[in-house]
Amino acid sequence: MRRSLQFLLFIAVSLAVFLSLPLHARHQQRLAEAVVKPQAAQLRSLHVTDLCLATEARYTRHPAVADRHAAFQDHPLALEHFPSGSLILPTTSARTKP
Amino acid sequence: MNRVIERHLNILEFTLASLLRRKGRNFSLLAMYLLVIFMLASLLFFVTALKREAAIILSDAPDMIVQQLVAGRQDLVPVAYAGEIARIRGVTAVTPRLWGYYYDAFNGANYTIIADDAAEPDRVSIGSGVARVRNLAVGDLLPLISYDKVPVMLEIGTVFPSASDLIAADLITVSPVGFHHLFNFPAGQATDLAVTVRNPKELSTIASKIASQFPGSRPVLKSEILRTYQSVFNWRGGMTLLLLTSALLSFIIFAWDKATGLSAEERKEIGILKSIGWETSDVLLLKFWEGAVISLTAFLLGTVLAYGHVFFLSAPLFAQALKGWSVIYPRFQLLPVVDVSQLTILFFLTVVPYTTATILPCWRAATIDPDAAMRY
Amino acid sequence: MIELSGITKSFNSGRSNQFTAVDNVSLVVKQQQVTVFKGPSGSGKTSLLTMIGCMARPTSGRIFLRGVAAAIPFQGDGVEAVEITSLPERFLNEIRRSTFGFIFQQFNLVKGITVLENVMLPAYPTGEGRALFRARALGLLEQFGLSRHAAQKVELLSGGESQRVAIARSLINNPSIIIADEPTAHLDSKLSHEFMAIVGRLRGEGKSVLIASHDPIVFDSPLVDALVEMRDGAVLDSRGER
Repeated sequence: MRRSLQFLLFIAVSLAVFLSLPLHARHQQRLAEAVVKPQAAQLRSLHVTDLCLATEARYTRHPAVADRHAAFQDHPLALEHFPSGSLILPTTSARTKP
Repeated sequence: MNRVIERHLNILEFTLASLLRRKGRNFSLLAMYLLVIFMLASLLFFVTALKREAAIILSDAPDMIVQQLVAGRQDLVPVAYAGEIARIRGVTAVTPRLWGYYYDAFNGANYTIIADDAAEPDRVSIGSGVARVRNLAVGDLLPLISYDKVPVMLEIGTVFPSASDLIAADLITVSPVGFHHLFNFPAGQATDLAVTVRNPKELSTIASKIASQFPGSRPVLKSEILRTYQSVFNWRGGMTLLLLTSALLSFIIFAWDKATGLSAEERKEIGILKSIGWETSDVLLLKFWEGAVISLTAFLLGTVLAYGHVFFLSAPLFAQALKGWSVIYPRFQLLPVVDVSQLTILFFLTVVPYTTATILPCWRAATIDPDAAMRY
Repeated sequence: MIELSGITKSFNSGRSNQFTAVDNVSLVVKQQQVTVFKGPSGSGKTSLLTMIGCMARPTSGRIFLRGVAAAIPFQGDGVEAVEITSLPERFLNEIRRSTFGFIFQQFNLVKGITVLENVMLPAYPTGEGRALFRARALGLLEQFGLSRHAAQKVELLSGGESQRVAIARSLINNPSIIIADEPTAHLDSKLSHEFMAIVGRLRGEGKSVLIASHDPIVFDSPLVDALVEMRDGAVLDSRGER
């Protein structure tokens, strides 16, 4: 087969895979719904406010309800200590309102 | 019609032959480009999936959390506030929450301990992260050290499945009695109050009522919690910004290289093509394909690989950054989400400028008179 | 028949460095003949050939192609003469591609790709099927004794081989007129004689060959049917030798 057709075939296959990504995602979401729902009920009673992403410090474990100045820890001049602190911003309420 | 297709195929054929001439250069270019797209697409997938996950989980979050601040730092809330807040019109329920952190000196992990009214005394439920780091299973005893250095043995009733790691990886739920005992937590106090209201539209009114009625209290609305998570990974966030900047910079280098890098060799080649009967549009088509071959390949492969990276391999590249120094980290298998509009933006920010940057510098070279080649 | 009437080509006109490369040239080039344009460098012969070959337009004057099978979509069979100087760019290109084959002084082969691909290069944008012109290219390579070099990169070829590749390339679109600009400038005498032999063969196949050269091997060759002598942009002498 000539090279240009080979290339176009390759692009077509990649495109097909690319276009099937949303379908795969939708399918996976449907499958997961059945599993996730009962779990949510189990944990609902705990009134969870945060995702468990980084467990190093208060302000990375519970950014939504952390201290207003948690990102500065105990002193306004303290340097950011944890690597994940650079990923997780202080709460919007802490940043927007006095 | 046939001739049009044949012309494209023929010129594409020459494009490929001509790209293969500088194999090393073009393949490393493709690899770099692929890496940029891969990182950006991984980030898009990762962040979109996390945001979706957060939205689902936090849809169960309380409408409002009321905290007490003392000297700008969070303090315990008197449980008595609960009854008073419950009397505010529109409030349906106020639940005092007891929760805190437990530092495990044994392995350096931080656990989140929550008091669960439904829990039996001396029986706990633990997150799978805790089970992992302490190597525990249902029925085992979890030893915790109370505030006065007395070991407390708690029997493990349930281990939350790892599918719920994104909420519960580091959780230990204990009974309220156990909680008070473990931390010597003062009676009549709570960590904060979870407030449920009848009509979410009244939330801000109720919040301002609470703030004025209880000096030092800080209401955190559910919308603010949600907003926190929408903005945690927004484009100005740490890693996102870092990745975006580096990707953008490398892209500028690409484009710069392309825009200025029309070598004398290439210029001469365009002259030859013109002299043997190629039109300006043919040369531009050649250059279009040259850009499109590289950028289309990089875009399609990059996004597909990124999808696999994030949703099949659970984003090992980002997990490292997210884990940081945590001892417990969630093993979350993110549910795939594809945001078509974001991918479209990625396409228009990468493939289109690259292809344009390939064509544009050739424009002038391509419009030279065909007889110029005669004068070399 | 190619008819030139009052062809003038000036560069940088209106400026201080204006010069006239071709000055009011009128002549007739017959078909299926070998015509040599002889003259020192700068005499305007190359410029004249670029204008005949639809590569450049004259500043003034007209060029007619009479009885040349030029592919012009909008002209029917009945039309015999085409005035190429006033045609739009698009059609000019079309004529150039289908009617003329070019052989350059520097051969102008594209480095890094194979001999076969170099020969096929002018056919790519025509939209013809690849299988067709590939077969034709292989035929041409065989005709010029280059078959075993087909898959080779052009930079590995000797001067004579490069020249033959360039000739093969000029023939890929079946042109009726071959234009060669100083084709022997980079060849030794033996190869120059070989080139003229090929020219003789092309004439035998019914092609018109136009050569600009100041090499005696070319213009003294018995194959030459007509000789146009040029100097300073003007035709000094024009004769059909037989």
